[in-house]
Amino acid sequence: MSFEEVKVTKEPLMVILPIISIIAFFGIWQSLLSFGVVPSSLLASPLQVLKLFIAKWTQVNPDGALLTTHMWTSIQEAFTGYILALLVGIPLGLAMGWFPIVEGLARPIFELIRPIPPIAWIPLTIFWFGIGIPGKVFIIWIAGIVPCVINSYVGVKMTNPVLIQMARTYGASSWQIFTKICIPSALPMVFGALQIALAYCWTNLVGAELLAADNGLGFMITMGRRLAMPDMVLLGMAMVGLTGAVIGVVIDAVEKRLLAGIRR
Amino acid sequence: MTSIANETQSAKKERKPITVVSVLTNKWFLYAVSLTFFFGLWDYVAYKKILGSSLARPLEVLDYMGYMINHRLAGNSLWGHAWASTRRILIGFSIASLIAVPLGLMMALNKYVNAIVKPIFDLMKPMPPIAWISISILWFGIGEPSKVFIIIIGTFVPCLLNAYNGVRLVEPELYDVVRVLGGSRRDEILQVCFPAAFPAIFAGLQISLSVAWTCVLAAELVSARSGLGYVIIKGMNLGRPAMVLGGMVAIALAALLTSQLVGFLEKVLCPWKREIEGL
Repeated sequence: MSFEEVKVTKEPLMVILPIISIIAFFGIWQSLLSFGVVPSSLLASPLQVLKLFIAKWTQVNPDGALLTTHMWTSIQEAFTGYILALLVGIPLGLAMGWFPIVEGLARPIFELIRPIPPIAWIPLTIFWFGIGIPGKVFIIWIAGIVPCVINSYVGVKMTNPVLIQMARTYGASSWQIFTKICIPSALPMVFGALQIALAYCWTNLVGAELLAADNGLGFMITMGRRLAMPDMVLLGMAMVGLTGAVIGVVIDAVEKRLLAGIRR
Repeated sequence: MTSIANETQSAKKERKPITVVSVLTNKWFLYAVSLTFFFGLWDYVAYKKILGSSLARPLEVLDYMGYMINHRLAGNSLWGHAWASTRRILIGFSIASLIAVPLGLMMALNKYVNAIVKPIFDLMKPMPPIAWISISILWFGIGEPSKVFIIIIGTFVPCLLNAYNGVRLVEPELYDVVRVLGGSRRDEILQVCFPAAFPAIFAGLQISLSVAWTCVLAAELVSARSGLGYVIIKGMNLGRPAMVLGGMVAIALAALLTSQLVGFLEKVLCPWKREIEGL
């Protein structure tokens, strides 16, 4: 049996419209400033942002560090917190899903802490850790751990009960069922958590840096505001968005590779 | 034998004898142990000043919350600050959902709208809402509008995404049924699309709400004269851990309350949700 390849030709309009839309967006943005509709103290044009982007590779002033330094600091903080959150959150969530004792002990504390937005921890962390890297890592850790725990917990709870009963019938121990059945079947949910946790971490990183930092992309945005340089604010925002998007794509690729054999 | 065969029918309750093991593994017993341990540890650490004077004892926190309810801070009692934050959230949240949900539905239903809006939306999506704080202060100053703006930006994305995905993930069979029964495009949209997308839209609203709390706190931490974020940052500046923790407790309660409110609305507006989940 042979397959005939189905060619889907997109309507030309559907190809052109997105391009027009993007061009219009930047065009309007640029012309708002070129024609002086919006004063340049409030908004920088895309070209100005681009110019600053190129300049910041080699120029330390006026915010005290190169663009690469800011990015590296942010990525370092985000990833330390993220990985710590995964290391603690995923095993905790999995165990909470399977062992009633762990659930009974961990759940109330988790439910107490969960409704507090991670940003609200900032003042306390400044008391505890000062304004250095550990404080920010703590905030990011808190932000990342919630989706990790919830997703791994739900993943285990959603295990097909027929599989568990079958394993019991064949005499598997509780631990064997947990490691051989529950964890593999929870994996897609756990990987879902990776993306969500990353997004949370990245958001809260910016929050933590806005408030207390001497380095990093969030700090760059704050400095841009203090120096009344809209181009620097916009550059910071663009870099935060871009870096976040790139990390998201990388994690997506890793996830696809690791989950290649699992049907979802 | 019963434990294997009757696993799925555990609703059939039989009275079990109370043994040491059954008490030790009882859910409520474990909850009690856990909470006692948590508050005990907290109290101990605060009492012994292991973290210096940077942690208040749980009872001190409660006391201080009572104090804040009766005494005004920057012109507002604790209720006033809680209301200031909640009001910002309600305003921003309603504006954003009133724009984002219809836009998301339109994007899912009309490919031309989708082709125009999606690229710009994708461009904005990865930018954390908190990153907008600086630009919104530049634009709107440090007053109320800048906070509402941040909340709108933050809540817009999940509202729109969920409305969009909610419609796209409607089961195609449902459309087939309506078509077989001779429904028009209008019937398809009104009878199938919207009811089926409703639970997803509400899930989006819940996510939006938690994002909104993050945003409003961040905005208040950066610059404000009222709101719960102001309370905790003031507590930090004055070096009063009890005030910070009291503020955090108030935030948790307020956040919980608003999400319960949305949950309640969902139950009222969309009673068919459970049936759809069961499909």
